[in-house]
Amino acid sequence: MHNFTRRHFLKAFGITSAAALTGIGCAPHAARNGAKAHVVVVGGGSGGATAARYLKQFSPDMMVTLVEPNATYVTCYGSNWVIGGFESMDSITHGYHNLRDRDGIDVIEDKVVGVDADNRTVRLESGDSLQYDKLVMSPGIDFKYDDMPGIEEADAEKIPHAWKAGEQTEMLRSQLLEMPNGGVFVMVAPPNPFRCPPGPYERVSLIAHYLKEHKPRSKIIVLDAKDNFSKQGLFEEGWEMHYGDMIEWRAASDGGLVEEIDVGEMTARADAGFERVRADVMNFIPAQRAGQIAHDVGLTNDEGWVPVDQRTFKSEMDDNIYVLGDASVAGAMPKSGHSANNQGKIVAAAIVRELMDQEPIDPSSANTCYSLITPEHGISVAAVYKYQDGAQAGVEGAGGVSPSGETSSFREREAAFTRAWYAGITQDIWG
Amino acid sequence: MKQSRLFVAGLVASLAMVGTTSQAIADNDEITRGQLMAASCKACHNAAGAEKGVPDLGRISPEVIQSQMRAFRDGDRDATIMDRHAKGYTDEEIEAMSVYFARF
Repeated sequence: MHNFTRRHFLKAFGITSAAALTGIGCAPHAARNGAKAHVVVVGGGSGGATAARYLKQFSPDMMVTLVEPNATYVTCYGSNWVIGGFESMDSITHGYHNLRDRDGIDVIEDKVVGVDADNRTVRLESGDSLQYDKLVMSPGIDFKYDDMPGIEEADAEKIPHAWKAGEQTEMLRSQLLEMPNGGVFVMVAPPNPFRCPPGPYERVSLIAHYLKEHKPRSKIIVLDAKDNFSKQGLFEEGWEMHYGDMIEWRAASDGGLVEEIDVGEMTARADAGFERVRADVMNFIPAQRAGQIAHDVGLTNDEGWVPVDQRTFKSEMDDNIYVLGDASVAGAMPKSGHSANNQGKIVAAAIVRELMDQEPIDPSSANTCYSLITPEHGISVAAVYKYQDGAQAGVEGAGGVSPSGETSSFREREAAFTRAWYAGITQDIWG
Repeated sequence: MKQSRLFVAGLVASLAMVGTTSQAIADNDEITRGQLMAASCKACHNAAGAEKGVPDLGRISPEVIQSQMRAFRDGDRDATIMDRHAKGYTDEEIEAMSVYFARF
């Protein structure tokens, strides 16, 4: 453990001096009293902002600093509603003024470029550094463009991923607006595990909603790296009900697995080279891994994700670093905004208890993932998680997906609850 | 009659807790498992959710929360999703979380 932290200290800072190696006498003592401790939170998304707010709520005198490079955060959840044309970017964009002005969190607009775990400091792009007693990292995802021949990260300017919301969301929306009636929209859907398991399928639902109204001769093709997907039965039921045969989903083993993308020709080569699918608008959602900073600090495993103690979300690599959200390996909990929100609370409780010399508790939390098939047709998957036998596990007999074959009024109520969920959780996260 | 007595009992319990609010979440108090479970529910069941039709549990008494969670769980009350959530909790867990909502 000690050698490991030494190594990633060196990796993150590129320092090789003897002084750094011996780390002479400059490490701070951990505050024994939670009230005096300083916690630095890296990343102001669903996990990080929640952790910061709940640390202050559980321990009002604690010093909490949130480091986030952007002035606002655009949620990936809800971004399909913008792409579908019935919500605005403003409605999914959140600022940090409540955290800063009302919750007493020191919000710094800067980017973390290195972590010195031995000396418990983070280095910022501006050149400043911050000392911490506990570090919470919620770095989200980055993409594995190397896994797909023919396309690289810079090509996202032509073929958007739109899987980190913001400019990419607007780009995909404007490409759909420019697409001719009778055009073909192609989504290349990612392999597991990835952020927001039902997200790609909500997206094609709501693109179909837009096209049906404005460009009804158009076609949607999903080329999937998987043979099944979240809430599949409910999505397919809804697609048939609302969009007839507009959406064609191809499973990996049925010609859906894409081997190469030709960016210039706007084609995806699939089915062992037998099929070249041409797109007017293409949405390539790459395979994913933990956000880059988690790799730079040396917290990731061979698969590119961050292993943690699933009781506290403390990194397996360092005793003072907690990692949550999409980047973490969290047992049965999906990579969802709601999971990140729950994990932010779990981490806040774990840190406060540890600083008070109290034993960790076995957390339990609830997750709900709503999706819209039309603006009035909502479906959901729910689960209750409990920490048991060393992992976050779903409680047997609880949770599951919305019933199939339900009435339109049931679907309308779930669509209304989808919006209530969004309003509630974003207030919980950003105040 | 039964319903309204339950409501009054809950209201009294809620009012009684107001005086202890700041202490309950002060840093020298212990964060409990029930409190963390209640925090999870608050993602939907808060003031913003209430504006769009989801009850704000901070305004509902522990007794009513307990009876309604059991009703959802045991199939005595219809729901779109709360039946699926409620099945994940024991009576003891429902009781443990129910007392915290008014304190957040």
